[in-house]
Amino acid sequence: MTGFLHVSPADLATVGPETFLCVLGIALILLDAFARSLRPAFPYLTLAGVAAANFLGGYAPGSAFAGAIEGSELTRFVDLLALAAVALVTLGADALLSRDKRNQGEFYALLLWSAAGLMLMVKGNDLLVVFIGLELMSIALYVLAAWYRDVPEATEAGMKYFLMGAFASTFFLYGLATVYGRLGSTRLTTLKGALAGGEGFSDPMLQIGLLAILSALAFKIALVPFHAWAPDVYQGMTTPAVAFLSTAPKAAAVVVAVKVLATLAPAGLGEPWRPLLSILAILSILFGNVVALAQRDLKRMLAYSGIAQMGYVAIGLATFDGPAFEGILVFLAGYLATNVAAFLAVAALSNGEKEPHPLADLAGMGRQRPFAATVLTLAMFSLTGLPPTVGFIGKLLVFRAAVDAGLFTLALVGIFGSLVSAGYYLRVVYYLWMKEPSREVDAPQEDVLSGAAYILVTVAILVLGVLPRPLLDMARAAVQSLPR
Amino acid sequence: MLDSSTSIQWLGADILTTLVFLPSLGALVLLFLSNEAKNAIRAVGLLASGATFAVSVAVLQKFNPAIAGMEAFRPLLVDRPWIPRFGIRYLMGVDGLSLILVVLTTLLTLLVLVFSFGQSIPKLRGYVAAFLVLETGMLGSLVALDAILFYVFWEVMLVPMYFIIGIWGGKRRIYATMKFVLFTLAGSLLMFVGILFASGVHARTTGILTFSLLEWIPAASTGVWSLTGTQEALLFWAFALAFLVKVPLWPLHTWLPDAHVEAPTGGSIILAGVLLKLGTYGLLRFAIPLFPGAAARYTPLIAVLALIGIVYGAWVAAAQKDMKKLVAYSSVSHLALVVLGIFAGNVTAVSGAVLQMVGHGLTTGLLFLLVGVLYERRHTREMADYGGIASQVPVTTTLFVIAMLGSVGLPGLNGFVGEFLILAGVFKANVVWAAIAATGLILGAIYLLTLTQKVFWGPNRVKANLGLTDINAWEFAAAFPMIVLVVVLGVWPQPVLDLVRNSVETVVQIAAVRMVP
Repeated sequence: MTGFLHVSPADLATVGPETFLCVLGIALILLDAFARSLRPAFPYLTLAGVAAANFLGGYAPGSAFAGAIEGSELTRFVDLLALAAVALVTLGADALLSRDKRNQGEFYALLLWSAAGLMLMVKGNDLLVVFIGLELMSIALYVLAAWYRDVPEATEAGMKYFLMGAFASTFFLYGLATVYGRLGSTRLTTLKGALAGGEGFSDPMLQIGLLAILSALAFKIALVPFHAWAPDVYQGMTTPAVAFLSTAPKAAAVVVAVKVLATLAPAGLGEPWRPLLSILAILSILFGNVVALAQRDLKRMLAYSGIAQMGYVAIGLATFDGPAFEGILVFLAGYLATNVAAFLAVAALSNGEKEPHPLADLAGMGRQRPFAATVLTLAMFSLTGLPPTVGFIGKLLVFRAAVDAGLFTLALVGIFGSLVSAGYYLRVVYYLWMKEPSREVDAPQEDVLSGAAYILVTVAILVLGVLPRPLLDMARAAVQSLPR
Repeated sequence: MLDSSTSIQWLGADILTTLVFLPSLGALVLLFLSNEAKNAIRAVGLLASGATFAVSVAVLQKFNPAIAGMEAFRPLLVDRPWIPRFGIRYLMGVDGLSLILVVLTTLLTLLVLVFSFGQSIPKLRGYVAAFLVLETGMLGSLVALDAILFYVFWEVMLVPMYFIIGIWGGKRRIYATMKFVLFTLAGSLLMFVGILFASGVHARTTGILTFSLLEWIPAASTGVWSLTGTQEALLFWAFALAFLVKVPLWPLHTWLPDAHVEAPTGGSIILAGVLLKLGTYGLLRFAIPLFPGAAARYTPLIAVLALIGIVYGAWVAAAQKDMKKLVAYSSVSHLALVVLGIFAGNVTAVSGAVLQMVGHGLTTGLLFLLVGVLYERRHTREMADYGGIASQVPVTTTLFVIAMLGSVGLPGLNGFVGEFLILAGVFKANVVWAAIAATGLILGAIYLLTLTQKVFWGPNRVKANLGLTDINAWEFAAAFPMIVLVVVLGVWPQPVLDLVRNSVETVVQIAAVRMVP
């Protein structure tokens, strides 16, 4: 019964989407090597693969590989987020990559592998599996960060992200080893059982282990003080790839944090944890928003904005109850649609990857490129949290949960941050619509695929903002599937 | 002639949804028009805002002002689940108070669009669309009875106004529009937390998770929420600050002169005519009925601020050289008087305040409109650049004088009735307040008469004014209905008073119950 060699079809079906994505990635690389003329078809192959993986993912949730991997409504939710991110980025990236002759199969392969990794990470019921998923996700991203390898900033981004990411990974391993040393298992369900009896969670060794694991996750999420990589990586990384990096992997890391904490502390967060998470939230919101205010480079600004946005998520983590988790999931889904929209529009409105992305380049774009400019404008309103966008729904749920739990300080810091953020988000809108252009910008033109991406994100931002019920129902089902 | 009841049936039971979203539908249609198709844009704008006005009149006919208390909302209530998980509903209804402002909103939006067709406005498509979306936001805020739904519409108003000032505004438009957004947002975000906390309190004390005002107000005003004094005070201020910024009450008013001066004429008309009133509306709909105890406790403080605002606004207005800035500061003064009336807490004063909300919307809207007429032709608003133009532009002058006298409060015009009722009511509450407030009115007469004298009478010294043309047909078509209403409501204000009586009495009763423990 035990051992990894006994693999049943049901086991394989549980990791069907991940397997399929990995194989597709390998196929794309081989096609690129042996049938280069097929390159224009890669985005379509990727999209078809995403659709197929989505279909496979609809199959049979439950425990597999002797309990090391577990599919549930929650993992399905993250699957959907990851696949949506891959699909949107694929749609939006092609115009830019084709123009720069950077549309090799590896780009899509790396995206697919990263998505497979993060899906596996969330499905992992064993901290070792979580780690394998985390590494697969991250290593693909390190390479993507340096995709324009002749651009110095991109190489810098890749190296920086790799070195610091590897450091964060060692934290995860250290924490994992400590937990194993104390309880003799890395299986979450076993840990839960072991903790239920004894003094459990308050054991100092376990606390150090958990702290190390959470630090590694906070690094991936880019919460202050684990954020330092974000601005440089965002700035140097290919813009459509940042659209992926800044959304789905962060969402997966947050969900893993929720899952680990909810498993190990089913009765609620104890003393050191809630204050700790609250401090992370407050620091991220204040630091991210205030520093973003001073940025003149769009991508750096969005990096700091991302830090602040994850601070709002950390409010939900600190609140730590069912409604807060639902809020987190809804927030993450909305953030995904919004941030992908923002980065795709930024890519479409800038000179390209070999040059910086100053805010001033946006001047007059409202008239020159109304379609992309409208998408970016909507994204800014959604990030500010103005109704009727999906960004508002996410904040509504997270803040509501915090207020309900009596965490007024967090809610007030959150709204203060939102107010400050209006300053820099609306500055983007100002440049787009209210300022005359100062210089010519040679931006990549829209094609059918990016047009489709714009329409999809616009619909997602507005429709989910007005009629959020399907999203809320999914989030609720996902939270109910958390181990209690 | 279509019978009104059949037309209502055609619109369906859900007449309020039609009312709120019809303008946005027009904006959506505009999206598919070319910016060059000016006539088509005008037609869509007129059709959408005109139809919305017609629907608002239909609502007015359907409304029964005889029903008292919270029951007044029932006949036209729209109630559907929106986010049932958290008890958030798509809940809309009207009473006399919201209805009179609804009609004011639909009328002013229609007239602003008519007016804009007489002026040379670049990017007309976006301009018309922004006003239509803004109209949805304003109407939604007025009819929403679910606090979250209200908040959504409240914020929806922000975005089009941001664009209206930021794109079509004057030289310092970016500064003005950011100031407007940040001030308003600061207030409304606090209110947002207040709303969330209030729903938590309601859920804890009654076991029902809801954001419905129809359930909140009876529970809160009868003490079911059992708030401590501090909690009630904090909640009251979370709501009241959002509304007092919008009014704006001294010392929260500093965004208003900037916004008014930089906004295009249409933006100023809507800002003064409707957006400021949403502040006073919010006080009457949320802050006072939900937290009457705290409202009573802080009445002296707010009254003092209002008195300072009345005198300060008038005083500063008297010192202005820019016509628009003068009218803007006169708004600060007039709205402070409305706030004083609201917090005087008797039926006379509150009725007067509501009447003055309508009256100020008409007269100040007109003043902004006519200043806009002059600005369109001469591109200056400095009083010194005019003088003695009455013979040049007789129609504009006549209209201006009527609007000005209405604003001053000349008996026979609508400003008088509102101000008189407010002062009479405030006199009952506190003689000193009434005395100070009355001086504001005298100052008002001084600066408005001076303005008229400097601009229209006397010798015509500025050569550039010799070519000045009078108001054109579109502009006149926009001004005329407002002039008519200024006169009609001055002579015969009874219909408005009848319409709002029950709403006003409800608020006053709720406030009075808690004031005497």
